[in-house]
Amino acid sequence: MSQSAKILVIDDDPDFRAAVTPILKSALYDVVTAANPQEAKEKIFSEKPDLILLDIMMDSLFDGFSLCQAIKTSKEYAEFKNVPVIFISAVKEIAGSRFQFKGDEEGMVGPDDYIDKPVKPDDLLSRIAKLLKKQ
Amino acid sequence: MIERKPIVLVIDDEESMRDSCSLILAKEGFQAEVAADGQVGLEKARDLKPDLILVDLKMPGVSGFEVLEKIKDIDPQIISIVITGYATIESAVEAMKKGAYDFLPKPFTPEELRIIIRRGLERRKLALEAESLRREKKLLEENFITLVSHQLRSPLVAIEQYFEVILAGLAGGVDATQKEMILRARERLEGLLRLINDWLDLARISRGQIIDKIKPMALEKVLAKEIEFLKPLAADYGVSLEFSPPEKPALVQGDEQSLEQVFSNLISNAIKYNKPKGSVVLSIRKEGDFVVTDVRDTGIGIAREHLPFLFDQFFRVSRGENQKSKGTGLGLSIAKKIVDLHHGTIKVESELGKGTTFSVWLPKADENAP
Repeated sequence: MSQSAKILVIDDDPDFRAAVTPILKSALYDVVTAANPQEAKEKIFSEKPDLILLDIMMDSLFDGFSLCQAIKTSKEYAEFKNVPVIFISAVKEIAGSRFQFKGDEEGMVGPDDYIDKPVKPDDLLSRIAKLLKKQ
Repeated sequence: MIERKPIVLVIDDEESMRDSCSLILAKEGFQAEVAADGQVGLEKARDLKPDLILVDLKMPGVSGFEVLEKIKDIDPQIISIVITGYATIESAVEAMKKGAYDFLPKPFTPEELRIIIRRGLERRKLALEAESLRREKKLLEENFITLVSHQLRSPLVAIEQYFEVILAGLAGGVDATQKEMILRARERLEGLLRLINDWLDLARISRGQIIDKIKPMALEKVLAKEIEFLKPLAADYGVSLEFSPPEKPALVQGDEQSLEQVFSNLISNAIKYNKPKGSVVLSIRKEGDFVVTDVRDTGIGIAREHLPFLFDQFFRVSRGENQKSKGTGLGLSIAKKIVDLHHGTIKVESELGKGTTFSVWLPKADENAP
């Protein structure tokens, strides 16, 4: 790619957005953020990110899984269906145990990767690089 | 809470009894249903879901006693009132034992019927309320644990995230002193996170939630997995890990995930409380109906006076200011609870300065079990 990739960070925690931005910028990515489902949708359409980091532990009303599903399969988000999505979460919080994505069982399309909080900078960056290379 | 009209089902082979009861019930504003025998009575109960049944003991075919028993399968909270012309102490006692709420000997007046029905329905209301409260409480508790978990961990995770970014030098330069302090702060944070995890584990165990499914499983697989996982830790401490798997699979009745937790705890303790160049040896043996796993270490041992307290919550043997152990003091308590829930037991033998052996007894599973 001739220009740097743009990454959209969707997380309602301002501290996480503030902490992860320098990580992404250190790898010369453009960073845009969204703090809620509404903003997330707006930014996806207006900024057209190359990759999405999505926190699935937001407000219980917002289901990150559904947004991912929508991005990858719905007509509305058709132009974004190949945008890689990484679930970010304090995953161990959910079950207190090792997380297992049961997407296939429920007929859901899962994320391209998932990473636990707190994210280690090099871990996050290498996963992003891998997914962007595939594009 | 009964929001609809209370439904009373009268099961009696005598037509006059069915008719007169229905009249009285209808006058009281109840929905009266009838059945001429026990079989029909049970079927109607299944369809109509009455709040209360009036059942005659002496009926041909399916008897009143049988109705009393079988109705509990349809609705455990249903109120059964027994009516019969053959009122003996024996039959009254037997009816109560079979779950009848009360007993009304024939002949009875309309007023007597009204009174007993009202009492029965009042009782029914209470029973239903208690049941729904119980369910709500369970839900709240489960949500509470999840909520507390989230509320407690979230801020700590946010702090950790900042540490990661700072330590990676992504928020400006970090000199050696600053780095040292941040690393120490992170250690304290991780200790707190471990404590929260352990405490929540205990909360879930007390509710029996930690055991997902107990089924026959091969114990040696769990041990092999934990040993593999703890090899790096053993290397750090300069301790060897030995395990010779049994020739035949050691099948136990267990929940894999929670047993992993038990052995993870025991083996890592054996590593951490060991001597340099020491060893941790695991072995499995059979004792009657149990499969026993021994975790033997050549460590510092435990003083006899400490042994009774070993499995108490937060008990830790003090080792002075330079305590290397970062444990929460809950590990053994959790391990014991998990093993207890498996109907097993943990035993410990130790000699100060020589070493310790923890033995986990688990019920063996039949090879031919489903």
